[in-house]
Amino acid sequence: MTDTRDLPSPERRRVLFGLGAAGAALAGGGLGCPMLAQANEGKVTEAPKSERTEDRHAYEGVHQAGIVTPRPAAGMVVAFDVLANDRADLERLFRTLDERIRFLTQGGPVENLDPKLPPPDSGILGPVVSPDNLTVTVSVGASLFDDRYGLEAVKPRRLSRMVGFPNDALEEDRCHGDLSLQFCSNTPDTNIHALRDIIKALPDLLFVRWKQEGSVPPQAPTKPGELAQNARNFLGFRDGSANPDSTDTQAMDRLVWVQPGSDEPAWAAHGSYQAVRVIRNFVERWDRTPLQEQESIFGRRKASGAPMQGGDEFTLPDYSNDPQGKLTRLDAHIRLANPRTPGSEANLILRRPFNYSNGVNKNGQLDMGLLFICYQADLEQGFITVQRRLNGEPLEEYLKPTGGGYFFTLPGVRDAEDFIGRALLLATPHSNTTT
Amino acid sequence: MKQTLLASMIALSALAAPAFAAAPAGLDLVQPISDYKIYVTEEVGKLVSETQAFTDAVKAGDLATAKKLYAPTRVHYEAIEPIAELFSDLDASIDSRVDDHEQGVTAEDFTGFHRIEYGLFDQNTTKGYEGFADQLVKDVKDLQARIDGLTFPPEKVVGGAAALLEEVAATKVTGEEDRYSHTDLYDFQGNVDGARKIVDLFRPQIEKQDKAFVAKVDKNFATVETILAKYKTKDGGFETYDKVKERDRKAMIGPVNTLAEDLSTLRGKLGLN
Repeated sequence: MTDTRDLPSPERRRVLFGLGAAGAALAGGGLGCPMLAQANEGKVTEAPKSERTEDRHAYEGVHQAGIVTPRPAAGMVVAFDVLANDRADLERLFRTLDERIRFLTQGGPVENLDPKLPPPDSGILGPVVSPDNLTVTVSVGASLFDDRYGLEAVKPRRLSRMVGFPNDALEEDRCHGDLSLQFCSNTPDTNIHALRDIIKALPDLLFVRWKQEGSVPPQAPTKPGELAQNARNFLGFRDGSANPDSTDTQAMDRLVWVQPGSDEPAWAAHGSYQAVRVIRNFVERWDRTPLQEQESIFGRRKASGAPMQGGDEFTLPDYSNDPQGKLTRLDAHIRLANPRTPGSEANLILRRPFNYSNGVNKNGQLDMGLLFICYQADLEQGFITVQRRLNGEPLEEYLKPTGGGYFFTLPGVRDAEDFIGRALLLATPHSNTTT
Repeated sequence: MKQTLLASMIALSALAAPAFAAAPAGLDLVQPISDYKIYVTEEVGKLVSETQAFTDAVKAGDLATAKKLYAPTRVHYEAIEPIAELFSDLDASIDSRVDDHEQGVTAEDFTGFHRIEYGLFDQNTTKGYEGFADQLVKDVKDLQARIDGLTFPPEKVVGGAAALLEEVAATKVTGEEDRYSHTDLYDFQGNVDGARKIVDLFRPQIEKQDKAFVAKVDKNFATVETILAKYKTKDGGFETYDKVKERDRKAMIGPVNTLAEDLSTLRGKLGLN
């Protein structure tokens, strides 16, 4: 991903998105906004067309892909228990993950075996795997640093087991994990293919603890000169309007990436803290709430995404003339999350959320909401501080966080000799890592 | 883009060696298959006699004895499941679980071991279960007769080892097989024994193909068996599933899933279609 970061912006976009007017309009297949003329052609079961199946992110880089790279339409977080018996097993786990992610994100033909044997690949992407913009981001939980693998001494300082906030109703089997994988790609099938590949490759080392898929709706391409708008969440509001600019490498170094020479263990440099939260939205109740109340709860206009003072989605909220909260309530979501007071810029986080929809609850209400994912260089200054400020916000009446966890996203893989997790293994004195 | 190309080449070269299994010429599978039929015949014989004793207790209203006999009787069914499952009507009647029925415990066609388990362990009674007891004896006798007349298909026998581990991975590790009695470890052991038997019978043939494979399979069986042995009780039975420590449960998952993966290649290794 770093090679694309170094490309000039339009070039990067072309590489990552394979954009062209037709391609963009058709991208995302059934999720997209097909042009009517074309929507009427073709047979029922023809596959939806996408010109972006060959989009790929370089696997090697200072940082892992899937954090500051643009969020595609389909996302999934899977948390695992690590079953490794010892350090040698743990190294085999990281090496195998490395090998599989290298292949899956770059694509290529699948291996052919004797047909009397089970096929090595699920086949759901066909005999040649297309990368389809896939990133698989590897992070580790606080529990990996317990007494099993001798990693206690090199635990990232701010990595902890997620503790419930006052409005949470955490379900144990949807929380935490020794390891998390974040899959992002153009289609859910590509993510599922990658997950099944990894599960099949690591039956003795990984046990799936929980999994949450999500999506973001594609939009029509913006006209020249227009800023790309942020996607909407299941409450109908644009989500991520105040996100720091992920193309601003200096801002990302400050806010997202652990820096060399910080108080974190040296191996953790160029990693990041990942906070995942499965936040159920009470959508029926929300849909029965007056528009002006919805807007005052969020602190933004629903249709445009503009702050209450006016403008558009990218107008910076200005509370300087509104100390009483007459225009934007003092407990409005965006004002609590980012009060824009001196010092509060240290609490900025990079959000990368997806919407999820899981089925129906016993009461007949839809089980849907936000698969919230964010990255920051300092978990306590970042997500935990922001969430503490949000405790008790009026929006809580419509939200119920039920799962998730805190993880540390490993630094990137430098070259063909390196493998994911190698820096962590090498960081402990009695390391028997063979490279 | 240069880097992208390079990365694709790396991905391709990693796939360069297609590992076709050597064609197993002249493997004699006749002997192990006939030995396996002897094993299954013995097991189903025990199933019939022990089911008779179990259901006699149910019909006599002897709740304590019925509870005691429930799990050890079932083990004989679990061990031969790959063959027993060939008769899907009997399998449904003997061994279906409450989840298999939309109407749950009130479903008319919910019969067999788990229906009686519900009565004994959840309702704490034998009363009203006499009919299910009669049906169960009739069914296992029918099973015995059908197995007697069955020519064992080699691919079902060899594939049975993997099928048994799939059973363990899907329903035993979670403790949802015997949800009222919590005697899952009996079934667990039954499945493992049944799979182990198949591997042992075909050992010479498999070793001819892949010695390292056999060693790996043995090691994983040993891990699972060692953990199961920790929960054996003095009377030869097992502790209830809720006694299994989380650490042990987790330690069995890896070997079980790996056995399921590895044993899924057994048919291919022995050249069976």
